[in-house]
Amino acid sequence: MRNFFEVARRGVVRAVSVAALSVIAVSAAMVPVQAQDEGPILVVSGPLSWPFFAAVKQGFDDAAALYGVEYQYIAVTDTANMTSDYPRLLQQAISRDPSMLLVGEFFPDGMDPLIKEATAKGIPVIIHNSGQTLWEQNGSLGFIGEDPYQMGYKAGQIQAEGGVTKGLCFNQVPGNPTVEARCTGYIDAMKEAGVETVYQTIGTGEATNQQAMMQAIAGTLQANSDIDGIYTLNAEPAISALRAVADAGKAGEIMIGTADLSNEVLEAIKAGDIAFAMDQQPYLQGYLSIQSAVLYQRYGLHPIGAVTTGPLVIDNSNVDKTLEVNREFSGVRGAS
Amino acid sequence: MNRLVRRPEFGAIAAFLFTYLFFALTTGNSGFVSINGTAGWLNLAAELGIIAVPVGMLMIAGEFDLSIGSTVGAASMVVAIGTNFLGVPIWPMIGLAILLGGAIGLVNGLIVVKTGLASFIVTLATNFIVIGATMGVSRLIANVTSSSIISDPLSKFLFAARLGQANISILWWVVVALIGAFVLARTSFGNWIYATGGNLTAARGAGVPVERVKIALFVSTGVAAALVGILQGVQWNSGNSTYGMGYVFQAPIVVVIGGVLLGGGYGSVLGIFVGTAIFGVISTGIFYTGWNTDWIQLFLGVLLGGAVLANNYVRRLALAAPQG
Repeated sequence: MRNFFEVARRGVVRAVSVAALSVIAVSAAMVPVQAQDEGPILVVSGPLSWPFFAAVKQGFDDAAALYGVEYQYIAVTDTANMTSDYPRLLQQAISRDPSMLLVGEFFPDGMDPLIKEATAKGIPVIIHNSGQTLWEQNGSLGFIGEDPYQMGYKAGQIQAEGGVTKGLCFNQVPGNPTVEARCTGYIDAMKEAGVETVYQTIGTGEATNQQAMMQAIAGTLQANSDIDGIYTLNAEPAISALRAVADAGKAGEIMIGTADLSNEVLEAIKAGDIAFAMDQQPYLQGYLSIQSAVLYQRYGLHPIGAVTTGPLVIDNSNVDKTLEVNREFSGVRGAS
Repeated sequence: MNRLVRRPEFGAIAAFLFTYLFFALTTGNSGFVSINGTAGWLNLAAELGIIAVPVGMLMIAGEFDLSIGSTVGAASMVVAIGTNFLGVPIWPMIGLAILLGGAIGLVNGLIVVKTGLASFIVTLATNFIVIGATMGVSRLIANVTSSSIISDPLSKFLFAARLGQANISILWWVVVALIGAFVLARTSFGNWIYATGGNLTAARGAGVPVERVKIALFVSTGVAAALVGILQGVQWNSGNSTYGMGYVFQAPIVVVIGGVLLGGGYGSVLGIFVGTAIFGVISTGIFYTGWNTDWIQLFLGVLLGGAVLANNYVRRLALAAPQG
C-alpha cells in the first residue's frame, strides 16, 4: 500500500511538473492581444462545448473582425464546477487590467462582488447573457441579453393558451440559477393561468446524455400520466422529450416547447412535432457586446438600459427562414 | 452453494435483486416493470455497459481509464464533421472513429507502461486533452462543437435499430460482455489480466507480458468508448463533444458495484454486467416513482453506496464461509 502511494506521489509530482512546463510553454506562445494602446479587451463567457455559446462567440468574432479589434475569449472547459470556476476566471481577467471587460454574469453570488471591484477600479464593463437584474447596481455600462424568467414566463403563457392542463419543466442542469429562472417563470405563468406543473431535474453530468434524459422524461410521463405540456431548456433535451413522448404513445397529445434551437428542433417544428422554440439570439449577444465596447472606447457612446435579445419565438410561421440561415451560416443561430 | 457464494458477482446479484424489488414496489403501477419500462432502463444501461466491460477488465489488471468520457464525444464528432461538413459517407468515418478510439487507448497504454505514472492521472489528463482537441478541431473545421450526423440505412440499422422500445445497443452490450467474459474466463490472456492486477512483480517473474496486457486493454477501452460514441451519434442524429462525460466516473462506479476490487486482481464480467444493470435500474427507476427529484443525486449516491456495502458484506460472508 505504501508502495502504491509512493508510486502515486512520484507520479503526481512528475505529472505536475510536466503540466507546469506545458502551461509555461503554451502561455509563452499566447502573447496577450492588445486593444488600442492600453489593456486587452477580455470576454468572460460560457463554455464553447455548448452550441449556444459557440454562437455567442461567433458574434464576438464577426464584430471584432468587422471593427478590426482583437479580444480574448475566456471560458471554462470543464462544466462540472462552473459556480466556483467562473469567479476565479473573472478574478484573473480583472487582474490583467483590461481596457474593456465583457462578462456573462452566470453566477451572481461569486461574480457580482468582483464586477463591482472592476467598475470601482475604472474598468468599463458590459454584461451579456446573464445578469439582467444586476448590471445597474454593479456599475456596468449596460446589459445585452435575455431575461430568463421572462423567457420561461412566455413559454408558460403559450402553453397555457394552447390548452395545456399539466405542464412539466425539465431542467437538465440543476444548480444553474439562470437556467432555473426559466423554469420559475414557466411555473409562475402556468400558476397564474391555473395550470398544474411538475418540476423535474436530472443528475448533474447527464446534461448531454440524451438517453438518460429520454428515460428520465419517459419515467416522469409514466408517473404523471396527465402531463400534456413539456418545456425543456435546451435543444438536446427537447429531442429527448420528443422521443419519450413518442414511446409513451402520446405523440400529438403533448405540447412540447423549448428554449434554444438546433437543426433537429427546427425540423421538428416544421413537422409539427414541437410547438415552439425560443431563440434568445446568442449571436447578437456577442456581436452587440463588441460593437458597444468599440463605440464606447472610440466615442464614449453606449446604449442606455438593457438591450433585449430574446425571446424570439420560433414556430411554424417563421421556422423556414431560421432553418435556411442555420444551413447556410453554420453556428450563427446556435446548434447546427 | 459455497462455490456459488464465493463468486465475485454474487454480491452484485444480491444487490440487483434488492434494488429491483425496491423500485418494483415503490413505482406502483407506473409501468417500470412493464416490457417498455424494462427496455427503458436497459437502453440506459447498455451504452454505459459497453464501456464498463473493458474498463472493468482494465481495472482487474490494476489500471484506470478516465479518458473514455471524452473519447465518446470525439468519436461522435468525427462522424458528424465527416458526414455533415466534409460530405464523406458514414462508413469511412465510422472506421476512422474506431481507429481514433484505439489510438487514444494506445497512447494511454504506452504512456502508462513507459513512464510508470499512475493511470488515474494520465488518463484524466488525456480526458481533458481529447475533449479540448475535439472542440478545437471541430470549431476550426465547421465552427461548431456539436453537429448533425448524416447516416445511411445500414448504419441506422446496426446502431439505432429498435425492437419495440428496446435499442439494438442492448444487443451490443450483451455481445461485448460475452466476448469479455470469454476472454477473462477461458483464455490465457484472461489469466494474464488477473495475474497483472494481482501481483505485478510475480506476474512479470512468471513470464506474463504485463506491458502488452495493459496496452491491449487500454486499446479495448478506447475502441469501446468510440463504439458508444457512434451508437449515440447515429441514434440521436448528432455528434457532440461533450457526449460521454458522465461515464468518466460512472464506469468505474458500476465496475466496483459489480464486485471488482479497486486494487485489481479480482472480479468478473458477469459482475460488471450486473453492476451496470443496477445503475440503470436506479437512475431510471427514480423517475417512475414520481418523487421530488431535487433529492435525486443524494438518493442515487445512497443507493450506490448501499449496493457497494451490501456487495462487500456478502463477499466477506462468502469468504468466511467454511470450505467444503
